[in-house]
Amino acid sequence: MDTLKVRDAKDVEEVVRAAIASEQPLEIIGHGSRRAIGHPMATNAVLDVSALNAVSSYEPNELIITVQAGAPLADVQSLIDSKNQQFAFEPMDTSSLLGASGNGTIGGMIGAGLAGPRRIRAGGARDHLLGAHAVSGFGDSFKTGGRVVKNVTGYDLCKLLTGSWGTLAVMTEVTLKVMPKPESERTLVLSGLDDVAANRAMTAALGSPYDVSGAAHLPYQAFRPATGALAGIAAQGLAVTLLRLEGIAASVADRAASLAKTLAPFGAVGTLQDAASASVWSAIRDVEPFAAGGSLGAWPVWRIVCPPASGGVLGQVLARETGGDVIYDWGGGLIWAAMPPKPDAQAALVRARVEAAGGHAALIRASEQVRRDVDVFHPQASGLAALSERVRHSFDPRIILNRGRMLRGSAT
Amino acid sequence: MAIMMPAADQAVLDRRAEIVAALRAIVPGEGVIDSAAEMQVYESDGLTAYRQPPMVVVLPDTTEQVSQVLKYCFEQGIKVVPRGSGTSLSGGALPLVDGVLLGLGKFKRIREIDFDNRVVVTEPGVTNLAISQAVAHAGFYYAPDPSSQIACSIGGNVAENSGGVHCLKYGMTTNNVLGCEIVLMSGEILRIGGKAAENSGYDLMGIITGSEGLLGVITEITVRILQKPETARALMVGFAEVEAAGECVARIIGAGIIPGGMEMMDKPAIHAAEAFVHAGYPLDVEALLIIELDGPVIEVDELITRVEAIAKGCGSVTLQISTSEAERNLFWAGRKAAFPAVGRISPDYLCMDGTIPRGALPKALARIRDLSEKYQLGVANVFHAGDGNLHPLILYDANKPGEIERAEAFGADILRACVEFGGVLTGEHGVGIEKRDLMPEMFTEIDLNQQQRLKCAFDAQGLLNPGKVFPTLHRCAELGRMHVHGGKLAFPDIPRF
Repeated sequence: MDTLKVRDAKDVEEVVRAAIASEQPLEIIGHGSRRAIGHPMATNAVLDVSALNAVSSYEPNELIITVQAGAPLADVQSLIDSKNQQFAFEPMDTSSLLGASGNGTIGGMIGAGLAGPRRIRAGGARDHLLGAHAVSGFGDSFKTGGRVVKNVTGYDLCKLLTGSWGTLAVMTEVTLKVMPKPESERTLVLSGLDDVAANRAMTAALGSPYDVSGAAHLPYQAFRPATGALAGIAAQGLAVTLLRLEGIAASVADRAASLAKTLAPFGAVGTLQDAASASVWSAIRDVEPFAAGGSLGAWPVWRIVCPPASGGVLGQVLARETGGDVIYDWGGGLIWAAMPPKPDAQAALVRARVEAAGGHAALIRASEQVRRDVDVFHPQASGLAALSERVRHSFDPRIILNRGRMLRGSAT
Repeated sequence: MAIMMPAADQAVLDRRAEIVAALRAIVPGEGVIDSAAEMQVYESDGLTAYRQPPMVVVLPDTTEQVSQVLKYCFEQGIKVVPRGSGTSLSGGALPLVDGVLLGLGKFKRIREIDFDNRVVVTEPGVTNLAISQAVAHAGFYYAPDPSSQIACSIGGNVAENSGGVHCLKYGMTTNNVLGCEIVLMSGEILRIGGKAAENSGYDLMGIITGSEGLLGVITEITVRILQKPETARALMVGFAEVEAAGECVARIIGAGIIPGGMEMMDKPAIHAAEAFVHAGYPLDVEALLIIELDGPVIEVDELITRVEAIAKGCGSVTLQISTSEAERNLFWAGRKAAFPAVGRISPDYLCMDGTIPRGALPKALARIRDLSEKYQLGVANVFHAGDGNLHPLILYDANKPGEIERAEAFGADILRACVEFGGVLTGEHGVGIEKRDLMPEMFTEIDLNQQQRLKCAFDAQGLLNPGKVFPTLHRCAELGRMHVHGGKLAFPDIPRF
């Protein structure tokens, strides 16, 4: 299979136009680090944007950075880190979960749109993409948005590009919002709560005025095999519920004291400070308990997004009925569920329970065969599915880009 | 009216009586308005320079009625203009002579308050402020706060992606809505998103927000609510030069501080506001910054100290720090009353809404001064300094021949300058009809075609709010045509491996 390594946006246009003319669908990759997410595609060639890797401009005082889509995420993160800034939505590093090397490119980060623990406070990837240049499935370069944080000029196509897994357009350059890194952080730790009680504790914390920027719960079963950052808190043999506060040191200390009072009905409150806190949240962000290299590495993994206050009950039911393990982020609004391998990854059961709770489930990790047989992304009601398909068609009528990745059965 | 609207469909106008009767069959009683006198209140929105009575007004009060009205119009090829509270500053709700004006004013119920999930499910006709009021007893509020919040509807906020003075820290509407029920032009009712943080599939909520009533009619919205910060305090800082004020803004952000609000006013705006509300604004400064810090008391106190040091380092000539809620409100009183204050010193004014990179502020203000000379019209500037959103108020007198045209040309030049300086045409008021014909300043035909193709995915006949946002109307079949280039069959000469 041909891999076409484009050098600029013009190359992308040419490749897409040739692909249209020759009816050869393209797989769009940067580093290919998230290639194992989605349905196996029916593509005849690979369009590789990794050479579009320049930082076009970085203006710390404007809180924006403009980079080409193939720029390595790790490099961009260290660049903004050098100015004490960050992507506030905490982009997930999928490499450990998928067993891939590296955390890919900026384009992959946006195309996947997987935000970490701070999503509850700072929003998701969608909330940080301000503008984009991209090539549609018509082979035309277009731009959307701008290079300022406040903009309502025309439709906000950035929202569609985020999380579209490369099925709408090939992004060539994006402008992202960056935010100051907090000066300090502290995590309050509750121990031994069951999932439902933990969900209540997180709900109380998130309903408080203390500006909680992370709310996660790890049932003991899910992180007993943990190594690294989680090993320390696993040592007690108890489930842990974690609540993060960030900001200037005096404020964090003040809010921690207040929040501890709010949480008093849920038991004794422990504390993790700065570096220890940060490494625990990275491990949660990257779903370390279900790492490909760990003891549950062979299990399929679902990513479930639901109304946060219903997470505890839902997760408990899923763990019991599937024989799997779950961990909770976003105050219960994000559940990662790993379960013993079955040919259908228990999709019918998972989706029935998740839908009843008002959520949706995506099968983020599974074998290629399972990803052929099961809907990876949550099936939509017929009217919404038809509208989504018309939206996709408005960008890529010939289904040239990542054909079949999001919609099962559309690969042929 | 300087702006061209889509040609009226005479066949539709000829059938007016029949159309009114058909709408009455769907929405009984007073829900259909067809008398010229009663329709007068609907002939313009907040952009009052443009007026057009609609063919008929319909005010449904159920989603089912909205669906049936749209389905009827869809089948009959009748244009529809949706309207919330009619506070749009860009003409988003300007009626069409041959169009049905669909008012959502009867959708006034908050359907559910869910503190555990920190959301409110509301009908679109509820005002922005009413949502905050409904949850205030539990310490919550709805963050986006456009200055019209007492009147503007949440449905209109979603349509326009409204902002407000606090959006630097708390985001615009799009960052604070989770889901909706929407009726497409065909009458089809869809539910998108809900109480979960994200939708599945493409982010359709993200594209509907800010679509200016061109994609569908929203009949229910789920918004996020937040706990109110423990306290808020403000600094009011005067500078002898606009550049120094701009530098101060940049240094605050550069120091990693994101204020709850950061507003700037220039000398004419300061004078107008002070004369109106007597807030104690310094009159001999060129620029005034109001910087609000919110959060826990201990944090706000610390940040006030830091911002004070930065302001002094930038050469501030006056500096006051609020020590009470009354004083903080007084600082804001002038800024919040800036528009009516300017209304007192000029018979009419035009409010512009471009955004520029913060660093371009001195350049932009200098350009506005030059243009003011050129057009011989006064201008007062208020500015959401934190996020670069400029609101120049162009002063004119509609009774003087040629002044409105001059004011509009002046405004257009300001927006062109915003684009030239790396910014955009509109930060929060929307394109509507006001900035429609300036869209090519920012977007190529290809950019606009892609946006219009998306419109086709929702409304293939182009019946919903036509004439807004896009300067040229294209048929969807034409936009969807694929030009296969050159008949090339092989991939071009690109490195491969």
